[in-house]
Amino acid sequence: MVLDTVVYCSRLTAAVNVISKRNFKAHWVAPTLRELQRRKVIEEDRGGGPKIFHRSTFLEWNYDAEIFAFSNRLGEKFNDSSLRAALTHKSYIERETARLSDIGVESNLQFQDNEALAQKGGEIMSKFINGYLRAVFTQVPEELIRAMHDFLTSNPTLETVAKHIGLGDLMLCADFPCKTETYVKSFKAVVAALAESSGEERARIFVQDLVITQLYGQDVNELWNPVDPIGNLTAILKREGKAEPEFRLIRQAGSNSILAVYYVGVYSDKNFISEGAGESLEVAKEMAAREALKKFFHTEDSMRALPFGRQLKNIQSKIAQLENQPNVPLSEWISPKIMSAVH
Amino acid sequence: MSNSHLFLPSGFIRTPLQNGLGRYIPQLQRITIKFCKSHGGSRGVRDFIESDLMEFAKTNPGTVVYLKPRRHRSPCMVAEYLNGEREYLSCHEFSRDEVYKWLSYMCTRSGIPVMRFRKYQHTDYPTIQGVWNPFTHQAPEINVAEFPHEVLSKPINHGPTATEQLIEIFKKTQLEDPANKPPN
Repeated sequence: MVLDTVVYCSRLTAAVNVISKRNFKAHWVAPTLRELQRRKVIEEDRGGGPKIFHRSTFLEWNYDAEIFAFSNRLGEKFNDSSLRAALTHKSYIERETARLSDIGVESNLQFQDNEALAQKGGEIMSKFINGYLRAVFTQVPEELIRAMHDFLTSNPTLETVAKHIGLGDLMLCADFPCKTETYVKSFKAVVAALAESSGEERARIFVQDLVITQLYGQDVNELWNPVDPIGNLTAILKREGKAEPEFRLIRQAGSNSILAVYYVGVYSDKNFISEGAGESLEVAKEMAAREALKKFFHTEDSMRALPFGRQLKNIQSKIAQLENQPNVPLSEWISPKIMSAVH
Repeated sequence: MSNSHLFLPSGFIRTPLQNGLGRYIPQLQRITIKFCKSHGGSRGVRDFIESDLMEFAKTNPGTVVYLKPRRHRSPCMVAEYLNGEREYLSCHEFSRDEVYKWLSYMCTRSGIPVMRFRKYQHTDYPTIQGVWNPFTHQAPEINVAEFPHEVLSKPINHGPTATEQLIEIFKKTQLEDPANKPPN
């Protein structure tokens, strides 16, 4: 039977998954491996952890082939110079020039670093993300759009994306293991390089496919919530000409115990709007108001799934148009001026 | 029944970085094939390299192929994936077709280690209408009902008792044939 087992190979420092087969091993194999493992553990403890090597120190490494594979893996065409510049960091250039001048060689290296590209990439990435969010979440106030944008452009999110498209081995930087900022900078520079090489359209689709898909599975209501939901709800109903919101207790259980639950429903002129549950009446009231606001913003738990990939073909122009047009902020959303603001 | 799952880690099916949601990115980053140029155990690997490798490299331009001819070593291939995992496979005395088969197997995997799938589906949104709780679909009348209540105090879906069913049968026979004596 073929089982997958983890083998510690003395040459590779990372654990390797082996598709193993049954074998008869000589009587001295196990004791030898045990002794080698014991010595390895001692050395690692002395050295402060297992030694890690950059992939480029291996014998089988061809940087040109890796760059070629990188662009093909993503399905994009890059200008060679733009891509190499996007992957080169200032720290690397400084280290190389210092090294060469130490040896005494004249250093007229033709490297270009990725500072400018990273700056530009960050801007256009923000632009694309905002355009998508405003086109998909049309009824949402600008504060929530900003919260979602900040989540998508945060360092942990971008670092995960950068690591999983293979930038870790391709970056030329002085720090190893590479810091989060290095990954994020490289990724932004790659986006800018793509915009330079293949045009803004391709870069927009690239950001949609790789960065905005990280929003999938994330509850957007965890990212931002209005401070005074009951006040906002009252203002919205007032501007729509409906009656004031009336909170009624719908269900309750265990009111004398720790596990009390109260369901409060919001009604406007005896029409049911939403209900919310909580461990006390005040909490339940606030949750009910939040649910009502979620209904107005179209961000309930049962909202439409986010479109990706082919589903975006029809709304790309709308996305491009909304990149420079912020949604309505919450203060205006609840005010009487907003009657006709629908994208 | 089988015990292949006993030491195999188990989990739900997943994919790195929402692969496929936006675009599909082949997860095999590079593959290193080590073989001997003369030993017989590497014959299949050598045949594969001479005939099928170029086609493989052309159809998978996102994967870097490294060849390492090493004397007196049995052949093997090491696949490296985008999430940092490596997979080692010994190709000793494989035929050319076997090498091709295992290589295409490596190609189609993500680097997530082999595990027993608990379910073959996964969703981040398991409920759309909301999870059931004891208050779902309860009639609002219970909120203002005075107990004991003639409808709500009784068990629901009670059905007629045996006595009531017999009375019904009796009444039916009465209607059909009133002249005959009713059965006791």
